[in-house]
Amino acid sequence: MITLSDRIALFADGLQAAQGELVQCSSWDDVWEHAVALSDETPVVSPAAYEQLQRGELPDDTDPLRSIADRSVGVTVATLAVAETGSVLLIEPTPRDRAISLLTRHLIVAVSAEDIVEDLAEGFLWLGQQPRAAAYATFVTGPSRTADIERSLTIGVQGPSRMTVAVLG
Amino acid sequence: MSASTAPFKTRYRRSLSDPDLKPRLLDFQRSWRESRDAQVQRLEQRTEQSFDELRRDFAAVKDSTLERLDDYIAEFRANAEAAGATVVELSTAAEAVNYIAAVCKSRGIDLVVKSKSMVSEEIELNHELEQRGITAIETDLGEWLLQLAEERPSHLVMPAIHQKRQYVAEILGEELGREFDPDDIPAMVASARDGLRRHYLSAGAGLTGANALVAETGSIMVVTNEGNMRLATSLPDVHFVTAGIEKLIPSWADAERQLQLLPRSATAQTLSTYTTCITGAQPGKEMHIILLDNGRRAMRETNTIGDALRCIRCGACANVCPPYQIVGGHTFGHIYTGAIGLVNTTFHHGVEEAAGPQGLCVSCGACQTVCPVDIPLPQQILEVRHRAHEGGHAPLWERIALRLWARPRLFHHLMGLAAAGSGLARLIGLVQRDHLRLPLPRRLGWRSVPAMPLRSGQTLIRSRRPLSHLWESSSAGQTVDLFAQCLADRLLPTAVDSAARLIEAGGSSVNVPQSQHCCGLPAFDAGDWETARRMAKHTIEALEGSERQIVTTAPSCVISMQDHWPRLFDHDPEWRDRAAAVSERIHDLAEWLDGPGRLPDGCLSKGSSKSWTAHRFCQASNRNDAGARIDQLVERLTGETAKLLEEPEVCCGFGGLTSLAAPEVGEGILERKLACVAESGCDTLITNNPGCVIHLRAGANASGTHHETLHYAEFLAARLPKNP
Repeated sequence: MITLSDRIALFADGLQAAQGELVQCSSWDDVWEHAVALSDETPVVSPAAYEQLQRGELPDDTDPLRSIADRSVGVTVATLAVAETGSVLLIEPTPRDRAISLLTRHLIVAVSAEDIVEDLAEGFLWLGQQPRAAAYATFVTGPSRTADIERSLTIGVQGPSRMTVAVLG
Repeated sequence: MSASTAPFKTRYRRSLSDPDLKPRLLDFQRSWRESRDAQVQRLEQRTEQSFDELRRDFAAVKDSTLERLDDYIAEFRANAEAAGATVVELSTAAEAVNYIAAVCKSRGIDLVVKSKSMVSEEIELNHELEQRGITAIETDLGEWLLQLAEERPSHLVMPAIHQKRQYVAEILGEELGREFDPDDIPAMVASARDGLRRHYLSAGAGLTGANALVAETGSIMVVTNEGNMRLATSLPDVHFVTAGIEKLIPSWADAERQLQLLPRSATAQTLSTYTTCITGAQPGKEMHIILLDNGRRAMRETNTIGDALRCIRCGACANVCPPYQIVGGHTFGHIYTGAIGLVNTTFHHGVEEAAGPQGLCVSCGACQTVCPVDIPLPQQILEVRHRAHEGGHAPLWERIALRLWARPRLFHHLMGLAAAGSGLARLIGLVQRDHLRLPLPRRLGWRSVPAMPLRSGQTLIRSRRPLSHLWESSSAGQTVDLFAQCLADRLLPTAVDSAARLIEAGGSSVNVPQSQHCCGLPAFDAGDWETARRMAKHTIEALEGSERQIVTTAPSCVISMQDHWPRLFDHDPEWRDRAAAVSERIHDLAEWLDGPGRLPDGCLSKGSSKSWTAHRFCQASNRNDAGARIDQLVERLTGETAKLLEEPEVCCGFGGLTSLAAPEVGEGILERKLACVAESGCDTLITNNPGCVIHLRAGANASGTHHETLHYAEFLAARLPKNP
């Protein structure tokens, strides 16, 4: 078992290789400060993030995706992160849970430092033991991308074009 | 008819007419290779297991799942249905299309947004739905571009890799009614976000494929990069999944093993951007999982082909395939492209569709070396070729040539005539640098025709006195049989004689068995196993009845005897045993000179060439044969260091009959090789398989390059002490 600081360092490397960014935050207030500093718009937040932050704009109940499409900054929460790959695991059973990570331009994902597991095998071990989590679970590794036109890597296609992981703790 | 759905010959011509395709795919293959290798190396370090161990472990998972497929399907179905999904097992493409159309009709759905799914390509879903009044829109950028251009994917993972940005700008401009700057790729990519959004919002159903179906929970796992798959499964009320039955895996732990190999082999990513796991229907929505057979069970029951069902659709086999680099996926394959496409097309789309591209494969074996599930693709392609041949798909000239080749005496007389003709040509000045100055048609002019020497290799050996032995190898005092190889004997007689000298120098005597001819490889390669059997039997008769070790200058014949003979005599125990008694004794010369006939380090004097480099015969290298690294042998014996050759193990383009059946492919691959040779700056190129020597020499001659091409036996024998 590697130490917490090793896991954070590994995670940072993996995330950077996937064109993601990392900020270390000491509190949820810190995460919020970081989000609001990015744009003049109020950040939109997922229901899970709202529980922690108690502020920000939630997606609409009836038409969640349309209501937040292409907003500048969104905040959501990861259940765990994987040091090996620089990924975060998002458990998002409903479209309303998913809206933020699907359609905001700059996605901020908050995760507790102690929830960074060493490798993908550990991540899947967790998932396999949580039947309800696998209803709709996604390991996200950096912002969306394509190389479909002449193999030219372009960051930001149909999902976020920037992704920051806020590591708490 | 679009570029990708025309008959094979038309597709072949069209792919050659695009001057940018070859360099673009070359650039792609090289950069993929570099980043994939780095990824695999990191994976090996992290797991402390070799790539071979990792891929065999996962292949074993796939194999055991396929063996008990019905049990796993039942488990998957029970779990997925408990989570609210509908699971249907369907046998044919038509059934799958009809099912999807019926669900759409009954729900009043006329628009389906699609995430990338090769199975939906396999069943030509978009076209079929359109016939039924339902529109399907591709949302993966590459697939969308193909749909706008009315094309098929030319690569399993990079479907639009053949399209130029100028062309992309044109079709996007037409679709979206605005101008695009071809050099502004980000703007074109951004247009997908805007151009596709309205479709997501109005579609009644979303369709995805699945990279894995996890039995223990009834879940699907899908690996993507753009974010479109999650949108297509979040907005519409109905989710269709189209997946082949071979995508079943038992558990999440197995899913993780698959992910160690899939993104690294596909796009050289540690992990793709989105790995999405969905279990059952979402609240208030429907999920229909279509498990498609469409020839898969027949594949499983077919000897030597069943392993192809391990395929996880990474596309790596295309990324190292030399002929794929020349013609691209619209020609090298049907709907499935690359080496795997040459195999599975027969079962999904019929042998007619599979037959065309068979002749493009050079049998170099590179595909299997990178396959993350270790599919024996080279052997499988030969099996499919055999089926195509049985189905009457072989060209007439090829059938005639092989029949002639199979008759040793006739072949001998024809070669004698050719030698006499070459002699005459020499007299009247039609031979220059050992090649005929013939006006050749443009398709063939990239390679000169070698002038045939008057005396064969066997004649050279018999007409001189044996060398007195110079060194005591462990085989000193033994008599060794030399198998000259039919091509080398007539076209590279000095290589054959040089091999004999090197064996003699190690203290053995050389015997050249009478009536030896051809091991059957050309016919086997062409799928004509009947003729191959006849040739193999002739060779077995010529070489059996002694305990002597057999040495050959041709590693391809060693592979033929060791790998192909057992397949040829699979149902004939008598000949199988006789074949084995011969192939047990066969040695490639390079392996001999390091093994039983080992010559001492530094025993050969430095020669006249200022610098040399080595092309390693691809098939032997990719098979990891002892002796494939001839540069190391030559360095050991001469103390001379080889110059660096880039891609020393990539095929030279000879490819047996390929360079005759598809000369432009042979030419293109040769160009790639000769460019590397030129870059090495050497003045002598050595290689180990006679076919490669002849091909590389004739190609260099036609292109007017000035390095010398030698079989390494010639290179080494020229350095033997002159007057021992």
